[in-house]
Amino acid sequence: MSLSKENSKTHFAWLKHPKHFLFFKIFLWFWLTVIGTITALVFLSNIATNQVSNEDLHGPMLKNLQYTAKGIERTVVKHNKAVADILMHPRLAKRKLLYLNSDQPEHSITSRTPPNEIDLSLINFTKNMTPQIIFTEYYQAFGPIKIDLPEGTFYLYEVDENHQTPFFVRLRLMPIWLKVLIALLASLTLSFIFSRNLIAPINHLKQAAVKLANGDLTARADIDPNRQDELGVLGRDFNSMATQLEQLISAQKRLLADISHELRSPLTRLKMATGLAQMQTPEANQTYLLRIEKEANQLDKMIADVLQVSRLEANSQTLSLHQQSLQVIIDHVLNDAQFEAKQTNKQLLVEGQLNIDIRCDESLIASALENVLRNAIKYAANTITLSLSLSDAIYIEISDDGPGVEPQNLTKLCEPFFRQSDARDRTSGGTGLGLAIAKNAIAAHAGSLTLHNSQPNGLCVRIALPLGQQ
Amino acid sequence: MKLLMIDDDTGLCELLSEYLTAQGFQIECVHDGEQGLKQALEHDYALILLDVMLPKLDGFEVLKQLRQKKLTPVIMLTAKGEDFDRIFGLELGADDYIPKPFNHRELLARVKAITRRIEHITSLTNNSSNKLSVNNIIINLAAREASVDEHPLSLTGTEYEVLALLVKHAGEVVSKEQISEEVLGRRLASFDRSIDMHVSNIRKKIAEFNSAERIKTMRGTGYVFIQGE
Repeated sequence: MSLSKENSKTHFAWLKHPKHFLFFKIFLWFWLTVIGTITALVFLSNIATNQVSNEDLHGPMLKNLQYTAKGIERTVVKHNKAVADILMHPRLAKRKLLYLNSDQPEHSITSRTPPNEIDLSLINFTKNMTPQIIFTEYYQAFGPIKIDLPEGTFYLYEVDENHQTPFFVRLRLMPIWLKVLIALLASLTLSFIFSRNLIAPINHLKQAAVKLANGDLTARADIDPNRQDELGVLGRDFNSMATQLEQLISAQKRLLADISHELRSPLTRLKMATGLAQMQTPEANQTYLLRIEKEANQLDKMIADVLQVSRLEANSQTLSLHQQSLQVIIDHVLNDAQFEAKQTNKQLLVEGQLNIDIRCDESLIASALENVLRNAIKYAANTITLSLSLSDAIYIEISDDGPGVEPQNLTKLCEPFFRQSDARDRTSGGTGLGLAIAKNAIAAHAGSLTLHNSQPNGLCVRIALPLGQQ
Repeated sequence: MKLLMIDDDTGLCELLSEYLTAQGFQIECVHDGEQGLKQALEHDYALILLDVMLPKLDGFEVLKQLRQKKLTPVIMLTAKGEDFDRIFGLELGADDYIPKPFNHRELLARVKAITRRIEHITSLTNNSSNKLSVNNIIINLAAREASVDEHPLSLTGTEYEVLALLVKHAGEVVSKEQISEEVLGRRLASFDRSIDMHVSNIRKKIAEFNSAERIKTMRGTGYVFIQGE
């Protein structure tokens, strides 16, 4: 059932809580309705549930039978023989099984002894009817034709013991438990198909909505485009909404990237012009030019960061993958971080080692670690802890003893330009993109970066990288 | 000393020529790829500054066509952060790259590092012919040429310098930092692959004539030129 596949967490949830699933509700109610209808029909109408069924006999078969009856009658009267002798005569007995039913059961005779499974008493009820075809489970009989003989009144039947009962008659002759079972199975299948048909588009919608909410803007509901009912319309509306959303968001991201890219040319010229001015300006005014240069560099860094984030988000960053010892990358980053921590009189503790080679874009991994560490150093009160461990994956945890982050802001922290305090303090010189770069850089390596507040205070950033990457 | 700048940003070209002229260079500017390639092929420049994004013919294409005929030193001007750009440029035989927006001092240092080598060589040429020969590779320091089993190698200026440095220190590990400082005139930035790219180009060019391994990678430290088999 596709319900169980939609995500691993709720794999068997439908077994435990069928009440939470519209599918089961619809399915159950519909099925019950179908069963109820059938039961009512069975009880209200007098559907024959016995083992015999009959219809009027017409045509050549009737004439044939009447002819046989007349023949017997004539022969008995003419030759004055016992009816049994005539019936047993090979000429008749060879051809078919004839049955003469008498009002007294012990006088009833047959042209030969019928096979065991043939129960001739089944057809007795037709004695007072016009000629019939009588279907039973094992044979088919034609009759009765009334024959008046000196020995009494008989009813002639011709019994066809080899006849295959027609399919619809066999259906009618089925035992009651089988009939109920078939009705049950048929209604079950029908109800199932009906409910599936109704629920499938809702499930597709649900899955698409979950994916969309998780940031996969390419997610669309898988709805049959020819479906004309309300669900079909809803699905198409949902998809056009998602397309609109995707276009708007990608346009916004592209705009950011385009602007940043375009800013580079004037920035290059600005830097160049500053350089020229520095050559010709007296010493006294150099401080302003240095300031201009510093600000230009800051602008340059921001543009580079914006471009990196947008490239990472758009998955257009070309990763230059190399087999590299993770410890080498970490040591490299730690060198600078230790220095930075020392300058702000904070302590950077390192626990564990990661002597493992991974295939990665080392500069991306390094910039991710650098950004997280720099962030931790910025907000730590006294100590920053970097702990490295290796189990089913590579875990790198960086925690500080700073004020931490309000829980509702934890997920927003990795959004570009998000800042905790509304007062945008620029004293630290960050661009507001550090964690966004880190998260995307780790995601580009199929890893994950999660944030949580540690006890009693402080923020903990947990990076997990899968082992054995492609 | 004559330099060629190929960049469609005319404003930047003006500022840059003013700056480099003040530093004692002669500079010519062209603003599209086609024109740039024509100039580069017709005249001999000490160095070409080549932008990647160019009208008519992009920087990579100019470099590719230029390298089929000439080994004029080329510094690519790339957009910062676009890793692919610079690696591709180095693969095509650029001598170095400098990310835009660049610092004027940094640019000057790179230009000087590459042009200084040329001056240095012209002074060497006047000296007695000076040759190094290790493991079938002959480095002609005077002519600035290298050959394998008598086949001359067509190396760019930077590639030649890297190979010469490794051969001079044959049998010893030469660190990437040392190569970067001596050849490119700059400190090696963290996780910079440019030296690896140059070495990889040299290996490919040697392998065209002789498949024996000459340059061994010492992971995390640098490269060794193998002395004797």
